[in-house]
Amino acid sequence: MADEANRQFAGLSDVSISEDIPVEGDISVPMGSSSSNRQRGGEDEFSTLDEPVKETILRDLRAVGSKFIHVLYPKRSSVLLRDWDLWGPLLLCVTLALLLQGGAADSEDQGGPQFAEVFVIVWFGSIIITLNSKLLGGTISFFQSLCVLGYCIMPLTAAMAVCRIVLVGGSGTVSFTVRLVVVTASFGWSTFASTAFLADNQPAGRKSLVVYPVFLFYFVIGWMVLTFSPSQ
Amino acid sequence: MADDTEDVELDFAADEQERARRSAVIRHPLASFFHLFFRVVAIVAYLLSDWISENFASCFVLIITLLSFDFWSVKNVTGRLLVGLRWWNQIDDDGKSLWVFEAKKASHDNNIGTEAEARIFWLGLIICPLIWICFFFTSLFSLKIKWLSLVVASISLQVANLYGYLRCKAVGEDGQHADSFTGQHLLQRPDIIFGIL
Repeated sequence: MADEANRQFAGLSDVSISEDIPVEGDISVPMGSSSSNRQRGGEDEFSTLDEPVKETILRDLRAVGSKFIHVLYPKRSSVLLRDWDLWGPLLLCVTLALLLQGGAADSEDQGGPQFAEVFVIVWFGSIIITLNSKLLGGTISFFQSLCVLGYCIMPLTAAMAVCRIVLVGGSGTVSFTVRLVVVTASFGWSTFASTAFLADNQPAGRKSLVVYPVFLFYFVIGWMVLTFSPSQ
Repeated sequence: MADDTEDVELDFAADEQERARRSAVIRHPLASFFHLFFRVVAIVAYLLSDWISENFASCFVLIITLLSFDFWSVKNVTGRLLVGLRWWNQIDDDGKSLWVFEAKKASHDNNIGTEAEARIFWLGLIICPLIWICFFFTSLFSLKIKWLSLVVASISLQVANLYGYLRCKAVGEDGQHADSFTGQHLLQRPDIIFGIL
């Protein structure tokens, strides 16, 4: 019996585990610089300045584009979480703020979202939601959460564009009904998309505590979109 | 013997090129220019905002666009070229966020920036956020609140790069002065802010 056991493990007697096991692996970070480049010395030695800069720009643009596509089909994917970036949210915020211009809000005495207000609402709101989820013990990091919330504004921005087109045709009851339907649908889409990413990281029973600020956030933005009225 | 002298001449030519490159005052003129260009133009645009456009929104978009270009180019290009520093964030498989600060050793690569370039880099990196902080106080005390939002956005974009590169520099100097205050202080509490972020 002992002999059999010895025979089974005979080959293992030669194996020695050295103290310093080299850690190998590749962490690819498509965020404009790659950590595995040190071995290759790739990006540090280039002949012209233009070539790798162009590659970096293209890579970043492709990353942003792929995230937009992932918001369109919100299933649990690692793209938004792993390779976060804030360029998409910045672009969406600026677009939304620009679309909300040109309304009855432009003159100073009218109520309505001024340009800077949209910015403040979006970014301050995102920061508050992130702080809330982190205080509730979420595992998602600060910038990942900002990234998800920012990218999920995309449906509401699209709704804003649709609303402006509808408002060109007139601002009666029909157009209001159409706008209401569009804004409600996109609000639901945004909330659903962002909670698909954010709520998963929470312990059970806390999910609704995390979801309700997101609900409020997109509700406020949807409200701004819906109540936009063009200047006479 | 003729071969030997020929070999020596070739070496001299290559050496001369190397020496010329090493003794150049500025090795990366394009990178140095762009490092300062976007930041300075953004500050000038803020100061001349009344003359550029009456519309606040277009001024806002212009300045934020300029500062976004500046953020991207300083983080991805000019830091690497001028001073050999790099910083980024990566998320590993567990979903933990990790901030990496990298400093290139000067001996490994002689394409790193010269002293003049390093001076340009650090002066540009430090002075511009200070100017924006001055703008913060001027807009705060003159109660121009919507300009305040622009200034806060600009400060956050500029200070992010400044903080990242200061951390990289601390990592780089750690090899030389192991118990210098900055290096040890920052390394013992590596995620002093970024632990929350």
